Amino acid sequence: MCGIVGYIGFRQAAPVIVEGLRKLEYRGYDSFGIATNNPHIDVYKCEGKISENDRAAAQLHGSIGVGHTRWATHGVPSDRNAHPHLDCTGRIAVVHNGIIENYAALTRELEERGHRFRSETDTEVVAHLIEEYYRGDLVAAVRQAITRLQGSYALLVTAEGHDEIVAARDASPLVLGIGDQEFFAASDVTPLLGYTERVVYLEDGDLASLDRDGWHVFRDTTPVRREIEHVTWDVETVRKGGFPHFMLKEIYEQPKVFYDTFHGITPESLPERYRRPSEITVVACGSSYHAGLVFKYLCESTCRIPVRAELGSEFKYFTPPLKGIVMVISQSGETADTLAALKKAKAYNCPTLAITNVLGSSVTRIADHTLYMRAGPEISVAATKSFVAQLAVLLQLVALMSKKDDFAEPLERANSAIEEVLLQDIDRAVEICRPAQHLFYVGRGLFYPIALEGALKMKEISYIHAEGYAAGELKHGPFALLSEETPVVALCSPGDTYSIMLSNIKEMKARKAPIIGIGAHGDRELIDIVDVFIPIPGSHELVQMIATSVLLQLLAYRTAVALGRDVDQPRNLAKSVTVE
Amino acid sequence: MQAVILAAGEGTRLRPLTLSRPKALVPVANTPILKYVIDALLANGIREIIVVVGYRKEHVIRYLNDHDLPVRVVYQENQLGTAHALRCAEPYLQDRFLLLAGDNYIDAASIAQIKNERNAILVTDHPRPTDFGVVIARDGLVREIREKPTTTDGKIVSTGIYSLDRSFFRYAVGPEVPDALQAMILDGVRVTPVRAVDWLDAVNPWDLLEMNSRLLARIETQRAGTISRSSKLYGLIRIGKGCEIGPNTYIHGPVMIGEGCRIGPNCVILPNTSIGARVTIEPLSYVAHSLVMDDVVIGSHSRVIDAVIGEGCRLADHTATWTSEAIFEREKEGFQKASFGAVLGDRVRSAPYTILKNCIVGNNASIQSGNTTVTGIIPDDAVVI
Repeated sequence: MCGIVGYIGFRQAAPVIVEGLRKLEYRGYDSFGIATNNPHIDVYKCEGKISENDRAAAQLHGSIGVGHTRWATHGVPSDRNAHPHLDCTGRIAVVHNGIIENYAALTRELEERGHRFRSETDTEVVAHLIEEYYRGDLVAAVRQAITRLQGSYALLVTAEGHDEIVAARDASPLVLGIGDQEFFAASDVTPLLGYTERVVYLEDGDLASLDRDGWHVFRDTTPVRREIEHVTWDVETVRKGGFPHFMLKEIYEQPKVFYDTFHGITPESLPERYRRPSEITVVACGSSYHAGLVFKYLCESTCRIPVRAELGSEFKYFTPPLKGIVMVISQSGETADTLAALKKAKAYNCPTLAITNVLGSSVTRIADHTLYMRAGPEISVAATKSFVAQLAVLLQLVALMSKKDDFAEPLERANSAIEEVLLQDIDRAVEICRPAQHLFYVGRGLFYPIALEGALKMKEISYIHAEGYAAGELKHGPFALLSEETPVVALCSPGDTYSIMLSNIKEMKARKAPIIGIGAHGDRELIDIVDVFIPIPGSHELVQMIATSVLLQLLAYRTAVALGRDVDQPRNLAKSVTVE
Repeated sequence: MQAVILAAGEGTRLRPLTLSRPKALVPVANTPILKYVIDALLANGIREIIVVVGYRKEHVIRYLNDHDLPVRVVYQENQLGTAHALRCAEPYLQDRFLLLAGDNYIDAASIAQIKNERNAILVTDHPRPTDFGVVIARDGLVREIREKPTTTDGKIVSTGIYSLDRSFFRYAVGPEVPDALQAMILDGVRVTPVRAVDWLDAVNPWDLLEMNSRLLARIETQRAGTISRSSKLYGLIRIGKGCEIGPNTYIHGPVMIGEGCRIGPNCVILPNTSIGARVTIEPLSYVAHSLVMDDVVIGSHSRVIDAVIGEGCRLADHTATWTSEAIFEREKEGFQKASFGAVLGDRVRSAPYTILKNCIVGNNASIQSGNTTVTGIIPDDAVVI
């Protein structure tokens, strides 16, 4: 998914477009670019988020312009691959959202006719096609060009010597904004709001031309009428698509994210030299560190490879002796501490492996090899879908390293278990958490990092002081804090530690702590000793682990909403920590 | 022009299929019913669409987001009837609007018939009028609407699609829309009946099979994924991306197969079958006239005919459905006679050699011993031994 914006009117186009692109960041934010027509085409492209790199872009001159914010799926984000793309002469600029499926064939054809391509994207072919058909009429050239395209597209085109923007769509969203002597085109209405409430929704197959005096829509060569409609929506509502918070939106995306990520890692994703290391050091921060701890448990028990999980901020200053490979995990790929650790590992000549969600982010350029999660843009500060995507990558990694085919098999359909846990009614658990000042999360083995992650989610968005402990450690201190005012979330799934967990829970119960027990469907023993029992789907420990982490996200979310917290922008926190 | 689509109700008569989705999201020919309604509006250039969500609203919103559908979402916190749902959308309505149910199929031609009428109701003939609101019309005007009467002479029923304007809210004070319309008619407002071209509703879960067959006839053919050269494909067939169709598989359309499915080797898929995404059909199985939802596994040597299989069901090997006619006593519905193979809710598990004979199995139910013939109604979460 990408976002596009176009402007023609009396204002300076670049600042309007930059502001519009920022509102479209939820559609992607790994690189962006702008072209203005003044009447020469000036282009500015940049890797990274618009919010952080907008000044230079906003300085382009001209009152006609098009812009694009990208979420790369093919071709790394780089200045070269960022839109807008130009033709050979640099006089035609194109931004595109969608996928041109026959671009390879078209590229070959155009190269034979002497066109020079500069990028690896599918979009550039559109610019050259338009150039090929251009005979002085831009609309006619675009019309001819789109007949050659297969796939999906929303296109905006501007060209030197033309006071107009040409727009076309097929199977990708595009809307026109009709202002007073100014006109807009964008992937959704958010960039237009604030300038105009009058919009025209283009239909598949439509071609539109915007000039300073008006707008026209065509089907082939026939002008057609399109109604102007009035929108009264506010920006936030559109971006969340109806969900009250990004966090909830992202929680509900998890079945698909897990499935896509899990199946996106294949044996070819991991070169042979990473398969049997003598030792693995995992470096990460926050939720990613918890995912690293899960990996440590699984890799050590399944592959018999020693794994050390280190916090990025500690690792930089207190580097342990390094052998084997160093693996870093970062959703954004920009976490400062993790980057510093990665550089240090490189200095020690260790083979490095990165796991990230953002193609072309800093870690991918430093690490020797990168594995990608397929979580899509994550907007909420509290990591949800990226954590589950990290688990998906790491679980596949264990499967590849262990060479055990049956390890991954039960996870093939974990998406179904996540779907099921989303249906779970947790109202009574929320009622217990809501008034609490302190909360304890306890688990053993695999469920210990999951308890840590659950506690982190709770504290970051509900502001309740929540701590995760290995259940056995409670007795070494924290037990003194237990009372009827300190609810405990106990993760107690069947397995080696089930019976010892049960007796731990009984001990906590004896200190009058209210217990929220999370265990397997149909558990008859746990249900009797806890105050609220929440069953977890999935008949396999690993599936239960994933389902449990999703459930704990929901618990944190619902508690925070019940407390009236600002879920998506918790106080004092930033999405990715890019300073030490 | 604006349109309001009501998608807040569960659609209890479709249980057990509505545990994890409202009826509007039940997939027919692999597409939720709601999507057909939105498409019919978009095809008529109606762009300002408001969808009222309530039951399982996150699932509806997620679907709308995933498909980049240009709609506004409005919440109905408690499901207090259709008129109440409409009132939730009232602040966003300007003048004239269409009101539609998100859980009935409607085609674009019908919308074209009604969209220019003021105060009109879209009607159709139905062989079982007593399941619906019967419309009594004389001299080209609606005289009366009788909601689910026990007996009736008339065959014309309301499709639940109306063309209205804001003055309707004066009458829409009770819980239900038909009552409000009735009040409007009594007040002397002229309401015209407009014939629908194509409208479909599934009242009971087994009706989905008929609806599935009707909509499968309209799919566009597509052959994506990897299809073994020795497989035989005839007729209208749509196969999604990433599918693997194994050797010697015989498929006779209309058949629709979603993305990422693994079918075969040596399977037979016969007409009027839709198969959701990520479904596995193991070797030597036979599926015909069925609606199979996402993430289902059908074990080898199975025979699935006239069945609705909910999301995430796992049928072990040698599972068979047995089509026969039986009389059911369903909650609120009373006795009903129906002929079909099986209706399974979500995540039903069956042991090897299970025979499903004209049964309705609840969500998460588990048939744990093989060689069992399951009939009648099995509740949610039941364990059959």
